[in-house]
Amino acid sequence: MLIWFLPVFLVFLAMGLPVFFGLLAAPGILLFLADQTSDIKLLYRNVYNGMDSFPLMAIPFFMLAGEMMNRGGITIRLVEFSQALMGHLRGGLAHVNVLSSILFAGLSGSAVADTSALGSMLIPAMEKQGYTRRFAAAITAASSVIGPIIPPSGIMIIYAYVMGESVAALFLAGIVPGVMVGIGLMLMVRALADRYDLPKAERIVQKNQQIDPVEKWVSFALIRLNFAGLIYMFAPVGEEAGATLSWGVFIAILLGVHALLLYLRTIVDPDFRVVTKRAIVPLQTPIIILGGILMGVFTPTEAAAVAVAYAVLVAVFILRSMKLKDFATVLTRAAMTSAVVLLLVGAALAFKTVVSLSYAPQILADFILSLSDNPLTLLFLINILLFIVGMFLDAGPAIIILGPILGPIFVDLGVHPVHFAIIMSVNLTVGLATPPMGLVLFVASSVSGERVETIAKAILPFLAVEVFVIFLITYVPAVSLTVPRLTGFLN
Amino acid sequence: MRLLHAVLVPFELWNDNVLKVGRWIALVAIALMVLAILVQVFYRYALNNPLAWPEEAARFAMLWMTGLIAPSAYRRGGFVAIDMLGEALPGALTKILNLFLLSIAFGVLVVAVPIAFNEVSGFNAAFKTSSLYYPTFGGWEKVPRVWMQYSIVVGTILLIIVNIELVIRQIIKILGGGKDLKPLQVAETGAE
Repeated sequence: MLIWFLPVFLVFLAMGLPVFFGLLAAPGILLFLADQTSDIKLLYRNVYNGMDSFPLMAIPFFMLAGEMMNRGGITIRLVEFSQALMGHLRGGLAHVNVLSSILFAGLSGSAVADTSALGSMLIPAMEKQGYTRRFAAAITAASSVIGPIIPPSGIMIIYAYVMGESVAALFLAGIVPGVMVGIGLMLMVRALADRYDLPKAERIVQKNQQIDPVEKWVSFALIRLNFAGLIYMFAPVGEEAGATLSWGVFIAILLGVHALLLYLRTIVDPDFRVVTKRAIVPLQTPIIILGGILMGVFTPTEAAAVAVAYAVLVAVFILRSMKLKDFATVLTRAAMTSAVVLLLVGAALAFKTVVSLSYAPQILADFILSLSDNPLTLLFLINILLFIVGMFLDAGPAIIILGPILGPIFVDLGVHPVHFAIIMSVNLTVGLATPPMGLVLFVASSVSGERVETIAKAILPFLAVEVFVIFLITYVPAVSLTVPRLTGFLN
Repeated sequence: MRLLHAVLVPFELWNDNVLKVGRWIALVAIALMVLAILVQVFYRYALNNPLAWPEEAARFAMLWMTGLIAPSAYRRGGFVAIDMLGEALPGALTKILNLFLLSIAFGVLVVAVPIAFNEVSGFNAAFKTSSLYYPTFGGWEKVPRVWMQYSIVVGTILLIIVNIELVIRQIIKILGGGKDLKPLQVAETGAE
């Protein structure tokens, strides 16, 4: 009887029942019909147990930090900085769009936030420079999928929790794939630039910008500390070295960095310097998150809370862009969004319990293994399955439902759990930008005023690049596993 | 139809006001979660004195945040669903389908109530949290674990009341009175 839970669930889902209720209704009805009422209690109890978790708390925190940074007006700074770096290339603003998405991804784990924040700024600017609106909307939507791949990432926290993996390992494993998607998109922009004669842009849009004195000194200190910290990590100072020696080495490096920056100052355009300085404060967020996790200072949940505190400090004292009322809005939005996700995760864990009670995983595994016994062929089939699922279902719910079913099968076949997590995450995230149900396509449509169908056509070359990267990630495990291995987060 | 509107009014009033209070408490809860974890980090690194309570307090706040604000998200259509079929069907059928889906959701929620009550009463009520205390006249007492679990009881009941409102609205729509209904706000949700 229980074997029917998956088909029943899929029917409910297709009819439009919210995923949360479907995850409980399908197994609940079947357990009732099988007269296993005690298991119904188990099902419901696991919803609560699934939500009562410390690692999950990172979800509301990262949402909050992302929202605050976004409201605080950092998007324009990231765009200006990206433009100063890449605006002069052919197809300049399209490159800027992709680079801004990569930078934005380090602050927020959301493709939707990326599309609406960057789209509302860059799509009109691109149109003004002669790009078609559909092209501008398409590149915005295509590049926004980098958001949940580069850490922090909501869906990776969910996957790690549901599947019992390390959030830190997943975060680190997402960095290279995310950057690869970005580089792939830029190469495609370059190819299209010749074909459609895409224009170059000015590197500096607003000349002679001023920087607030407080921010000036904060970024002055931060950039020096960041570089010195980075070099110090590779300095040959052993663990046994005393505090005096360690500090001495650090201060020496700091002075060296200071001297180098003073020299750079003489050769760099003053406007470029100001634009860079204005980007340092927001870009500190990924450094706090990743630096904290890498150095073992914070758990991902703590890093997320520190990121919120930093965002508050930035919004109140440096950018001075948020009022008390804005805080209420931001907190409510983050609470509401994460409550829905938390309920979903709780229901997914309850669903997982019933999955394990039934023979479904074995039957599914037998079916998958009967198709081929070559893991590479099976991974290809999974790529296709996930791609199709991603077209209809958002990445979060899809990961929650499919992770517990597919994960163990492939781990048994010898695929590394973290590698499989990244295959699933990237595959389903790209689904966010695929027609007909891609969430970010709809967001891009509402931001640009262009029809979804038109954007769906224009996005195809970029999707081709993303599919290529998915195959690379799938067949070259080193793409995702090297960084977590080098940093000691994976054996 | 007039009768249906009259039945709807108390549910609307309840959900408009009680859920607003819920949202405010949830807002405070999420802020407290951040504070608790920051205190934890500060004590561990700055004072070298790891504390036990912040993590439990933050989980406490997170569960109540979820229980109190999820009904608002549900009311605003923020629960993730695939609505392709509904969009493809003709208008009248979509309305009937939605009513059917709301009935399933109602069933899921109603079954949860006795189970949730069972969890917070009897044998389970004796368990205490490990590091949270509250003051009494006789000194400090450990917080019972059911205080955390009440979040799910309250959340479920609030969701049921929202569900009833949505069912009545749907029946009004089926009977052709959709124009007279007050529009509900739309929520933006998702981990993506």
